[in-house]
Amino acid sequence: MIHAGIDAGSRAIKVVLFDDESGRIAASGIADQGIAQEALATELFEKLLGENHLQKKLISRIVATGYGRNIIGFAHKKVTEITCHAAGVHHACPDARTIIEIGGQDSKAIALKENGTVQDFSMNDRCAAGTGRFLEVVASRLTVNLKTLGQLAGQSDKPAAISSMCVVFAETEIIGLLASGVEPKDIASGVQASIAARVGTMAGRKITPPVAFTGGVALIPGMAAALEKVLKQPVSIPAEPQLTGALGAALLAAKM
Amino acid sequence: MSDAPRMITLSEWDDRYEELVATGLEEPAYGGPLSRHVADGDLRLRTLLFDNSAAALRLWNFLLTEEERLTAARASGKKLIGTMKDLGTVPVIAYSASELVAFYPDGAWWIPCVMELSAGLLGIADSLGIDESFCPVRAMLGAFATEAHFPIPDLLICSVGATCDDFSAIAQRLSSLGHPIVWWEAPARRRPEQGEESVLLPGGFRATVGQVAFMKSELERLRQILEKEAGATIDDSALTAGIKAANRVRRILGALRLTVYRADASPLPALEMLIAEMLAIHFCSDREESARVLQGLLDEARSRQASHLGVLPEDAVRVFWVNPVADLRVMNLLEKCGGRVCGSEFLFSHALDEIPEDLPPMEALARMALADPMIGGAGDRADRVCADIELFGAEGLLISRIPGASHCATEGEVIRDRVRSRLDIPVQEIEVPPVSDSLLPTLSTRIEALVETALQRREK
Repeated sequence: MIHAGIDAGSRAIKVVLFDDESGRIAASGIADQGIAQEALATELFEKLLGENHLQKKLISRIVATGYGRNIIGFAHKKVTEITCHAAGVHHACPDARTIIEIGGQDSKAIALKENGTVQDFSMNDRCAAGTGRFLEVVASRLTVNLKTLGQLAGQSDKPAAISSMCVVFAETEIIGLLASGVEPKDIASGVQASIAARVGTMAGRKITPPVAFTGGVALIPGMAAALEKVLKQPVSIPAEPQLTGALGAALLAAKM
Repeated sequence: MSDAPRMITLSEWDDRYEELVATGLEEPAYGGPLSRHVADGDLRLRTLLFDNSAAALRLWNFLLTEEERLTAARASGKKLIGTMKDLGTVPVIAYSASELVAFYPDGAWWIPCVMELSAGLLGIADSLGIDESFCPVRAMLGAFATEAHFPIPDLLICSVGATCDDFSAIAQRLSSLGHPIVWWEAPARRRPEQGEESVLLPGGFRATVGQVAFMKSELERLRQILEKEAGATIDDSALTAGIKAANRVRRILGALRLTVYRADASPLPALEMLIAEMLAIHFCSDREESARVLQGLLDEARSRQASHLGVLPEDAVRVFWVNPVADLRVMNLLEKCGGRVCGSEFLFSHALDEIPEDLPPMEALARMALADPMIGGAGDRADRVCADIELFGAEGLLISRIPGASHCATEGEVIRDRVRSRLDIPVQEIEVPPVSDSLLPTLSTRIEALVETALQRREK
């Protein structure tokens, strides 16, 4: 049977179709988030079905997650992204005991039990300083895309100190740094270190290894290294870190 | 409409009210349909879910008619005492004199929520220099300025010292606006040193004999001031009677908490329990009626429990709640997310414990005042939270931060870490402003995730 997971995130919609007989992902897709969220999710879902010659009636259960989960009316069940990321990461990295997930709008630290269920979690959803939004703002200010921003950060050997605790003020600070001649690569590296520090504080002192890093921000070069430096331990990135929430939702759909 | 316990909207309450009246509902003078309070500006009622019992209706009507009660008390010649910050001690002394009625102007902190910011009280506080870096209790300043939410008290009494520096700053500003305040000092409760003579306090804490003596002297000073205001003596026998009357309220409330929080299916919703628990500190300006209102709720809860009926599914996740919420709607949200409140620590746990009746009254009051969680360390508070979580069998902990409130800036972390390490249950901290509508999706995610985590733990 095929089961579907839809992660309606703040920046992107992700859909995973999971085949529980083969234990593999049958299809997956990502689309930009927008205003008509349910319509966008439906469009992506149906596009995936069409591309993979699957009929809707073959999809036994659909679980929606992400901040827009309650808008996905055709889902059979809604589950928070915390539970879904746990399920998805446990499937992709069965040994992982801690998940750091940094998305466009929030960041999370999730402690896992050995069986992959959530032990406890902490979230930052009130401040953009520890989220992908910070990187977007900085990339825009430096007139580069997110991937290039990450590559720039990798070239730095003296990261700038970003002291502001707020993205809006940090942007002002960055303007000042640029004006004083600090190189963009050092600013990019400094911002990554700043985000990693915020997430590290949120995660707390007791982090159980191994640590898996998921969410769209995990795709940005240099972020994993910045996190490793703060957490003082290796951080692994699942194969498709943006999809772990949707994968987890599909896995939970399979258990329904 | 069925009598079966359930949570209903304000408009459903209109129908329910007509039905109850038609079947012989007996109401106190302040009774009536709930929706009439919306005309008074209590707009938040439109978005809340309420328990459908007559006992809950009485509770809400009692809460929402306090201003009328205070006005009537003044008209009858009684003096109004505005007691501020101490949470549960000074009213016991004041109500020991029949000439006095005490109330908490601090209660104005809920006006921005209940009136959905329409009264502009926070804006007035802003204009007076008490901005959003302070706790929403700053709304009290606006209420004093507009004189529209409670009669200006004849006497204001405010505790300072170890209680709350936010509140002290707000009260100092109030004083500067021409409202004289009698200040009294509550010392920080400290653990007695080895060999230092100490006594047991309600709640199981200890304080040094010296601290109790100091607290007693402060309360004695207040007694004399209140006697002068009342024009009558408040002797030990009056105080003893006052303590017994306060304990009656506390005993009923204690039984209500045990009944509701330990029941398999929750007999009453979280919101009504929050309002009920608050009666322990302020009596809603009528101590005797408080007892009757609480007894009505207790009878309803026991009746529902005996019939195995609840307002929520039996599998609702049992959540212990720390700190009151600035937005009442969030109590409903927990239940919508699959949780129920099983235990609470709303910063006045000392007012839930009975005041010792086997001690001289001022000694008993001093010991009770020293058990105030606001003047003890966060570790003490965390210990009590842990004990109550075990008592009520809670499966998760929600710590609700109050924006700007200095007393909960760091103690949430202390409570969180201790509960996690001692009880190994999931913990979430949320921040709830007076009107949280724009935050409901993120609050909902956190609470739902807490509920999901607790449910996963049940599966083992």
